[in-house]
Amino acid sequence: MIKFRIQKAYFFTTIICLPIILIMCRKADTFNEKEYDPRLSGGAATVFDETSKAFGHSIDGMNANDQHAHGVGDKAIEQTFVTAPAPVNSGLGPVFSNVSCVSCHHNDGKGTPTAGFVNSSLLFRLSLPGTADSHIGVVPVPGFGTQLQDLATFGTTPEAKVTISYTSQTFTFPDGETASLRTPIYNILNPYQPLPANYLFSPRMAPPFFGLGLLQNIPEATILSYADENDANGDGISGRPNYVWDPSLGKTMIGRFGMKANVATILTQVAGAYQQDMGVTNYIFPTESSFGQPQYDGRTDDPELPDSILNGATFYIKSLAVPARRNVTDPVVLQGEQIFKQINCASCHIPTMQTGVDVTFPQISNQRIHAYTDLLLHDMGPALADNRPDFLATGSEWKTPALWGIGLFEKTNGTPFYLHDGRARTITEAILWHGGEAQMAKNKFVQLSSADRNALISFIKSL
Amino acid sequence: MKKVVFPALLMASIITGCSKNDDGADTVANFNTAKTNAITDFVNIVAIPAYTELKTKGDALNNSIIALNASTTDANLTAAKNAWKDMRQTWERSEGFLLGPVEDGEYDPDTDTWPVNFNDMNNLLATAQPLGTAANIEALGSRALKGYHPIEYMLWGQNGNKKAADFTARQKEYLAGLSLHLKSQADALFTSWIPAGGNYANEILKAGAGSTVYAKKQDAFLAICGALTDICGEVGDGKMKEPFDAAATVPSEGAQLVESPFSGNSLTDFKNNIQGAFNSYQGKFNSDGTGLQDLVKIKNSALNLEIEQKFNAAINSFSNITVPFEQAISSQRTQCQATMTAINNLANTLDTKLKPFIIQYITD
Repeated sequence: MIKFRIQKAYFFTTIICLPIILIMCRKADTFNEKEYDPRLSGGAATVFDETSKAFGHSIDGMNANDQHAHGVGDKAIEQTFVTAPAPVNSGLGPVFSNVSCVSCHHNDGKGTPTAGFVNSSLLFRLSLPGTADSHIGVVPVPGFGTQLQDLATFGTTPEAKVTISYTSQTFTFPDGETASLRTPIYNILNPYQPLPANYLFSPRMAPPFFGLGLLQNIPEATILSYADENDANGDGISGRPNYVWDPSLGKTMIGRFGMKANVATILTQVAGAYQQDMGVTNYIFPTESSFGQPQYDGRTDDPELPDSILNGATFYIKSLAVPARRNVTDPVVLQGEQIFKQINCASCHIPTMQTGVDVTFPQISNQRIHAYTDLLLHDMGPALADNRPDFLATGSEWKTPALWGIGLFEKTNGTPFYLHDGRARTITEAILWHGGEAQMAKNKFVQLSSADRNALISFIKSL
Repeated sequence: MKKVVFPALLMASIITGCSKNDDGADTVANFNTAKTNAITDFVNIVAIPAYTELKTKGDALNNSIIALNASTTDANLTAAKNAWKDMRQTWERSEGFLLGPVEDGEYDPDTDTWPVNFNDMNNLLATAQPLGTAANIEALGSRALKGYHPIEYMLWGQNGNKKAADFTARQKEYLAGLSLHLKSQADALFTSWIPAGGNYANEILKAGAGSTVYAKKQDAFLAICGALTDICGEVGDGKMKEPFDAAATVPSEGAQLVESPFSGNSLTDFKNNIQGAFNSYQGKFNSDGTGLQDLVKIKNSALNLEIEQKFNAAINSFSNITVPFEQAISSQRTQCQATMTAINNLANTLDTKLKPFIIQYITD
């Protein structure tokens, strides 16, 4: 009898504990798909705002200290730098691409694909062919460095000016609809000294700031799980990581930021922008971009940027929330979501990932996010190629850009521009530029009926 | 006696209650009418009148600078300074609703960039480069060399004590170009709103009915509300707080961070920012129309009272600061802190109560 009772007790204990054990074992990403709110693109780090300010919100629930740091950064990115020596915001240039973060990143987002104007959002990478220094990733052009600064403080000569023109060709879908694709042509005018004939040149549009804390927090193993460098599964899509030197941590790491995944951390990205884009030296990059050039100011004020400002700006970007999706129950949007998967867009624009743990920042830890990127490099074909390698990325490889928030560009940016150089003015144009590994997906898109294409675009605009 | 008073009081309260029901009752019809009127009045009572006034004052400033350059007397200098302050008042009030062309067309950074780039300006004045036209100024490229603050610097001088006799020919030429450029910007901003130009007004008027910017009326109200919160944040947590914090350790460093320091106009600027936001909430500029306030009154009069009270508290608190802001951050820190607290309280109410109100009640 006692034995029976003991057995019975074991039995009931097991019955009671089993569900608890099962529940505890269940990971956050194994709930039924329908139990998640599809609007939460950034998980807990999502904000509900559909206005032109949608990209500029801090993540909810930060402690007072983090809110303060975010606020410091928020102010910092708006600051206009001026020629040194000055009492406020000293250190612009002597050569630069723009005078403040927001001058390029309008409304914390993208901008305008022009060059040399106060609101221009393009910058120009430069390098030479050859074997790159493992810490720089490219071969700098003597006298110019790795970026062409097309503006300068008054009385200083810019490295060169750049003009942009476009040629257009019409693309016709099988059903007769057309799209106009424009190819940019860049002319470098008045270089302050001759450029070597074999220089490599690549324009870059300023990307949006938000969600980068989440992307920085995706485990490397997760990113690598999508890599298929030799296309073992035969789907025509490979995908491989870039590995880059990170000067802030002093080691080689997987690249996550920049159009070619050529930067590993937000801190290095921000520090590089201050130094290269604005000519403002800082503790990560304490040497002027013009060092060794005749424009170099020779001042002993480096680093020009207070450490607290660099750290504040970095934290600001890390702690910007992702805007929520809209119209997620619209049948057309749902149909478009299916097509997105069926024609293989989702093979590179990975819809769902889980972030890792950042013990200092619970809101970006263990979040189920929908960035629609794999952070990997893909060969995108000759039409998009810049033919300028960067660390491991070849001249035709680009990192899959995140698509979250893309449907709000019209609001945050007025006129939206897409792709690395802003050549595409509509999402349709952007898709039609896809080639290389994405050629098959593009071909399927072209073959879709007009209604299906519109459904796909509606889905993408809901992101 | 008591018997008489009681029914009289009751009667009075019924009458009061009835009259309230007549114009502000929480009915679907009333709310919808107020919603439509608030959209229309934001355009026709608030935004367009504000930008019209800015354009007029841009003309006046330019005329005063033409007069100053023609006859550089202290009287004409004072008149030009007053014209600058006058235009500045309208501009700062219009910052209570920084949405649409002023942001998309970047009129704000194009005219109100701070700080001034002293070194580039001095180098520029030392050249013979033509500066007397708006096109000359536009061609400079740099935002830190054009707009309100370089004009302020030219009129008041770095220490705020410039006299007519101090003006050089180059400074006059630069000033002429600067004011023409600012006037052209004010003209263009106005034109971007009206049907004959960019017709941004129509985007708001068509909110929820074909607008490409505001798919729902809710979007338009959220944008208006967001602009209120943003300007409060910019003043209470930025323009005032940065110099204030810096002055805690090094007073002179704090003073250098103050915007509009040459004219000593900073506190007026700040107050006008908050007043402009209050105007936008109320749906008024020089005349009074229907605003977000009237929608809140219908559904939640207590919230409206709270918002009004916080706007008034923030605006009135400025009068406790009795010296220019660059001095007050050292000598009247308690008063400065009280004003920032009042503004931050207001911003918090707008963000945590007014915004959810809009999301809850304005769903179309």
